[in-house]
Amino acid sequence: MQAFDIEVVLGKSQVLNGVNFTAKPGEVTAIVGPNGSGKTTLLRAMTGEIPYSGKVLLNNKNVAGLKPWQLAALRGVQPQSTTIAFPFTVLEIVRLGLTAGLSAAEKELPLRALEKVGLTGFGNRMYQDLSGGEQQRVQLARVLTQIWRPVVDGAPRWLILDEPVASLDIGHQFTVMDLTRDFSARGGGVVAVMHDLNLTAMFADKVVLMDAGHIAAQGSPQSVLTDANLAQTYGCPLPVCTTPHDGTPFLLPQARHARVT
Amino acid sequence: MSVFSRLYTTSSLLIVATMASHMALAQPASRIVTVGGSVTEIVYALDQQDRIIARDTTSSYPDQVAKLPDIGYARALSPEGVLSVAPDLIIAIEGAGPPETIDVLQSAQVGFVSVPEVFTADGIVAKIRTVGAAVDQVQAAEVLVTQVASELTEAQNAAQKAANGDPKKVLFILSTQGGRIMAGGTNTAADGIIHMAGGINAVTAFDGYKPLTDEAVTIAAPDVILMMDRGGDHGAAAKELLAMPALIPTPAAQNGKVVRMNGLHLLGFGPRTASAITELSQALYGETN
Amino acid sequence: MSLTIEMPKRGSLPVDRRVQARQLTVILVALLAATSVLSLAWGASGTSLWGALVDLAAGRELSRLDSIVLFDIRLPRLCLGILVGASLAVSGAVMQGLFRNPLADPGIVGVSAGAGLAAISAIVLGAFLPPAIRDLTGNYLVPVSAFFGGWGSTLILYRVSTRRGQTSVATMLLAGIALGALAGALSGILVYMADDNQLRDLTFWGMGSLAGATWTKVLAATPIVLAALAVAPFIARGLNGLALGEAAAGHTGISVQRVKNISILSVAAATGAAVAVAGGIGFIGIVVPHLLRLATGPDHHSLLPNAALLGASLLLAADMIARTVIAPAELPIGIVTAVLGAPVFLWILLKRHGAMGL
Repeated sequence: MQAFDIEVVLGKSQVLNGVNFTAKPGEVTAIVGPNGSGKTTLLRAMTGEIPYSGKVLLNNKNVAGLKPWQLAALRGVQPQSTTIAFPFTVLEIVRLGLTAGLSAAEKELPLRALEKVGLTGFGNRMYQDLSGGEQQRVQLARVLTQIWRPVVDGAPRWLILDEPVASLDIGHQFTVMDLTRDFSARGGGVVAVMHDLNLTAMFADKVVLMDAGHIAAQGSPQSVLTDANLAQTYGCPLPVCTTPHDGTPFLLPQARHARVT
Repeated sequence: MSVFSRLYTTSSLLIVATMASHMALAQPASRIVTVGGSVTEIVYALDQQDRIIARDTTSSYPDQVAKLPDIGYARALSPEGVLSVAPDLIIAIEGAGPPETIDVLQSAQVGFVSVPEVFTADGIVAKIRTVGAAVDQVQAAEVLVTQVASELTEAQNAAQKAANGDPKKVLFILSTQGGRIMAGGTNTAADGIIHMAGGINAVTAFDGYKPLTDEAVTIAAPDVILMMDRGGDHGAAAKELLAMPALIPTPAAQNGKVVRMNGLHLLGFGPRTASAITELSQALYGETN
Repeated sequence: MSLTIEMPKRGSLPVDRRVQARQLTVILVALLAATSVLSLAWGASGTSLWGALVDLAAGRELSRLDSIVLFDIRLPRLCLGILVGASLAVSGAVMQGLFRNPLADPGIVGVSAGAGLAAISAIVLGAFLPPAIRDLTGNYLVPVSAFFGGWGSTLILYRVSTRRGQTSVATMLLAGIALGALAGALSGILVYMADDNQLRDLTFWGMGSLAGATWTKVLAATPIVLAALAVAPFIARGLNGLALGEAAAGHTGISVQRVKNISILSVAAATGAAVAVAGGIGFIGIVVPHLLRLATGPDHHSLLPNAALLGASLLLAADMIARTVIAPAELPIGIVTAVLGAPVFLWILLKRHGAMGL
């Protein structure tokens, strides 16, 4: 998945100035950056939710020339938060990921997807009765149903996530991040906007650090998540350590006005 | 009234009269539905009331009419409702409908006679002739015409005399809903009866019944206010009415001149109109010899 | 736009509401059949359906009166009732799905405002039309005007709210309010010009009625309504997807703009036709989809056909009341649907209020 020269103007302010973005299949690519740096805007431009100038390619095809159903066969997009207009059950929501004319086996996909996100037995609950974190996982199950197999006819499919762990407890954060690793390990591509830099360091193959509408740094977690990069983009000291066993970076933020103990 | 509507009325009169006479030749109708208060009154005046089996909502005179089934409002008749009383003739005031219902009734071979409505003495005479032909009582109708026409002439002459060259300005108020005065303009039954009773309509600026602005009411300066009688305490109602700001400066309010008459009697334009003229004239000018 | 969110009680849910919805479809078909037979059998006149059937079976000819009552009054009225009821209920469900709001009704896309204005114009100004046009439409000037008025105002609204091939539902809602106000004002001018009789006609038109049912109306409305209802299966998935929001619906492979186009045009056609032949009939479009969502959930695959069936049945039932309760006169059907529909609706809301403990 590639994006060239993406520019987005919202109202009178330019939110993205000429961003070039690349993500490879078989990898988890994380987009990080402080609030307002343009990471969600970049994701929404690349998924066609907002008008942009530039070019977005998916499996070397220009997305502008693809029909919604062709795009849906190539990628699944999980929104940040979704309110549902009518009292649908969880299973009914997940089934929206199915397309018409599926085999009987494929019709079981919604239940298997619910199992994957840890919501076995929630199928007949009302979506609106669930907690925010549960709703988020229902949406992920819906997207997984849509692109169940990471590779179809040799072509990778793409899982695009906007802050997929934002309202999840730490256990389910790992469930979801493990799912993304599994999807990429089986040949699919994952692009996720992330807030949690530690989770990013643990699960991402590639990190794209955004700042004020452009890419400040990109590459492996080790090369991007450095003291200097983070202090500059986030505007506060964020000392980065590495884990002793595999050298994965992790952040140990220090309060400027620390409690005296 | 425009030339066109005059032509239309005349031609439809002719057609109706022809239709009616043809039917009369076939067989006299015995199950009649009357639509329109004045139509019902005329059938009663011709002493043919035994043949009426149903009537519309506006038919309320004479009192025994109330015992007949009510087929609803003249312009919103239900085809099966009308057929359910098994009529063989419907005599309806001009404008009864809807046309779809009339079509179905005619396809069911129910006779249908439309009675034109013109708010003059001649209009009443024409109504009587049309209804008379429809119920196969042409001669009785002529007798009634002679009687009604002479009564009307007499009443109108008396009214003119009572007015004595100084006609009163009459404001007909249909309603005062929400403090807005709905007044009767030209081309209304109210306008017709006011003229016949020797008065002049205070409102000539528009056709039909419409709301009149307060200032226009004041400028119209009616000598008398004419309203339909809806029951209740007239004294209190009149007091309230004349306390309306628009009416206070008018001569009518200053002299407390409010006339209320039964709506169907006043505006029906049927056999009783002569008595309505006399009643209104007396209310306007007082008893004369 | 604020969304009313409905939450049935937990634990009371069936395993699969699709099965329930299919069972409900069977029940509703039976209900429609029953109300249809009743409406043929029931009327102000003494004509008996059974008697007529016996006569026909025995090869006897019907009396002229019976044949007119059955074939020229009750049967076209039955057909028109089914068409109008189905149109209003399905249009309501489609609009609610499109606007993601259970209180949306076809009025939102301007059909009612345009049709109403056109009908009033036809009633008041019809006499001034050139005779050629009057001859062409005959007695049907008001319905024909209402239909084209409804379509016209929807097209205007659609144009106003569509930019670069994208229709903004929110713009449409606002523009609809503005257009409604304008149509209301113009109608007011015409009402002022109207004479007494025309005023009465306007009032009765606004309250709706199937009393003017003729085969001409049935034949004119049938293809329009059937065409509009036939698209329902093709937009059901799209309307379900729209519950997620437009962007998310698009990502599941739905052509959102196509769903909007089809929904708006089919609703304008179906409602326009219904309003044209029967005047203003309220509540069917809101109450029917709401009841069905309570019963079997919001899945449009079953909601739309079930709404057609239930809408038709309810309108037939309301019409039976309208034409017999004060026989030989009859009530405008809009009064019946509002008098019965509004309290039922309030009762549902109150009951749910209590159950949720809000």
